[in-house]
Amino acid sequence: MSFDRRDMLMGVGAIFGAALAAPLQKALAAEAVATVVPGYIASRTIFTAAQRSDVAAISERIIPTTDTPGAIAAGVPGFIEMMLADWYEAGDRDEFLTGLTVIDGFCTGQHVKSFAALAPAEQDAVLTCAMNGMMPGLATGFFEHCRQMVILGYYTSEIGCRQERIYLPLPGRYDGHYPYPGKVFSS
Amino acid sequence: MTDFDAIVIGSGVSGGWAAKELTEKGLKVLMLDRGRMVEHKKDYITEGHGPWKLAYRGTLPPAEVARDHFLGKWGGAASTDRTHFYNNDRLNPFDYENSKPFRWVRPNQVGGKSLIWSRVTLRWSQLNFDSNKQDGHGSPWPIGYDDIAPWYSYVEKYAGIAGQKEGLFQLPDGEFQPPHPMNVAEEWVKERLEKAMPGRKLIHTRCANMTEDKPEQGRSKCQKRDQCARGCSFGAYFSTQAVTLPAARKTGNLTLLSDKVVTNLEYDGKTRRVTGVRVVDANTQEAHTYTGRIVFLCASAMASTQILLNSRLPNSGLSVFNSSGVLGRYIMDHVMRTNVWGTVPDGALDPLVQFGRRPTGVYIPRFRNLQGQDEGVDFVRGYAFQGAAGRAIATPGGFGVALKQGMRRYAPWRIGFNAFAECLPYKDNSLTLNPARLDRFGVPLLVFNVTFKDNETRMMNDAQRQGETMLRAAGLVSVGSGQEEHVPGDAIHEMGGACMGDDPTSSVVNRWSQAHDAPNLFVTDGSQMASTNCVNPSLTFMALTARACDHAVKLVQAGAI
Repeated sequence: MSFDRRDMLMGVGAIFGAALAAPLQKALAAEAVATVVPGYIASRTIFTAAQRSDVAAISERIIPTTDTPGAIAAGVPGFIEMMLADWYEAGDRDEFLTGLTVIDGFCTGQHVKSFAALAPAEQDAVLTCAMNGMMPGLATGFFEHCRQMVILGYYTSEIGCRQERIYLPLPGRYDGHYPYPGKVFSS
Repeated sequence: MTDFDAIVIGSGVSGGWAAKELTEKGLKVLMLDRGRMVEHKKDYITEGHGPWKLAYRGTLPPAEVARDHFLGKWGGAASTDRTHFYNNDRLNPFDYENSKPFRWVRPNQVGGKSLIWSRVTLRWSQLNFDSNKQDGHGSPWPIGYDDIAPWYSYVEKYAGIAGQKEGLFQLPDGEFQPPHPMNVAEEWVKERLEKAMPGRKLIHTRCANMTEDKPEQGRSKCQKRDQCARGCSFGAYFSTQAVTLPAARKTGNLTLLSDKVVTNLEYDGKTRRVTGVRVVDANTQEAHTYTGRIVFLCASAMASTQILLNSRLPNSGLSVFNSSGVLGRYIMDHVMRTNVWGTVPDGALDPLVQFGRRPTGVYIPRFRNLQGQDEGVDFVRGYAFQGAAGRAIATPGGFGVALKQGMRRYAPWRIGFNAFAECLPYKDNSLTLNPARLDRFGVPLLVFNVTFKDNETRMMNDAQRQGETMLRAAGLVSVGSGQEEHVPGDAIHEMGGACMGDDPTSSVVNRWSQAHDAPNLFVTDGSQMASTNCVNPSLTFMALTARACDHAVKLVQAGAI
């Protein structure tokens, strides 16, 4: 797996737009390694532009921006594309992509719009439908699968760890009688 | 003249101690390791990384695990924060006899498993040294607790062991720094369990993670990151890199060569001495023989046995170290795939959580067959439990704001334990070589023929029942238990193959870890173990190694070897 680091960065910028590329660029800039190591950015394109927009929108509805940033700011869509490209085996990857196609077909049929183009309330209705097994043709488990990917990507992101949760890189001490601070500690 | 006064094969827990002790006693030492070089601090490439900086956010792709780490995955190799510290299983094959599986989890670097071990450090008691003699299994131990106790103290003081004195005869106290504290749920369980079932104890796990600094060694106490297996620049836990290697290097007497695969020992039958250590370079395939006056074999239990088996008479399949006929026999590992768990009821402790990540937990010492055979117990020997209490992060269903809010809470306190049981030494649990299949260094593949038998199964069943009983007695709710397939090797406590004994017709090394067939050869890793006890073995390897070094140097100085 080899690709040029600068090309990837430019590619990411083109794909996601500047807003999403910024945190990724920042994360990459912080990396001391000279060559791109597998497991950070997709080594190849998996999504069509439309799928990429849909995945971003789905991610953001699953973990929305609240008092802390949401899934898009945390780079979850890029994480999902990386996992599909480089972690998943072909069968599971195809299942996921098929699920996206079904959702797209549903949205186009119901609203004549892609998922990404719907209003947030409409998007939530579509996801609820998917979650409750009410979407024709959608594999059982697709929604939960997708939800778990977003949860994993978000809570292992820098934003998820540092802003949504409490990140202790060097706790220095252990206290097993510590009052719940209103949030949880990240790993 | 020899190239070196001593050659140490392997640089893990045992090899590191051998290098430290021998160099400090003035010997010029060559230490060899089959793995690559890993320097303290500088080569801990994932240390301190948040989850977002770990490849694949921490988990290796399943296809890569299946291809290269299908054994190492049982020891953590699928975690990308530490994959680089594990063997490539595809490139280092071995065979099974009669399809009896064995999970041989191997490291791939200088420091060996000392970088990735679980750091539980528990002493053996006299009970354990007596067991072979008493119930007739395996080769009787030629040493007792009094022989090893001063050496336990010696290695504990230097390594830095956290624990609490309990006065238990079955688990002798050591030289302890303060223990890592229990959390509120562990204290809750301890109080109730010990009251409800007198004789059962819940104690701090004793571990090689320091709770006090050792400035004289340039080491700091544990920072509660619980990321030990990435390497620790604080040197807070015992590893070769942090502890024994710096000490050995400081003497100026150490030569350390990585990437050197020892294929066999060369032997002179007339003088009954090991005359050379033959290596193949892992990168260049170049062979070379190093000579040393004495040799310490510390390559890990299975690898040391393989080296001994492959040290053969010319034109013969027979090892020169097998006059006893038991070389490669009595292969053992702890049985450990029995789990019990329970939940603290009524949200009693819900306001409290854990700050920091403790690198250890709690321990229920052995309670079976302590005074001879317990009535109504259908197995010999015993088991212990390792565990910890903690709180998972809540995982509500759904999506959106409610999900995000819900995941800011913790689930109730739960406690879980894993039983570790002694495996009896069975003569027919054995390692042999397959001369028909050579590895990439020209060494015949090791053939495993190891299974757990009835005594182990009965212990696991008892552990499951007793575990549930204890957790219920302590007042926990939602108590559950389970067993997974018990596969030898899984505990990564593999031992035996060159067992210790006084009788050269039924053991491979004597009471000083010295080969019966070659007085200048010492085998001080897990292969010398004549039984396993149920406690984690590394501390005992350390103590036996330091003890053997002391003896070997006295023999060298006396001109006896």
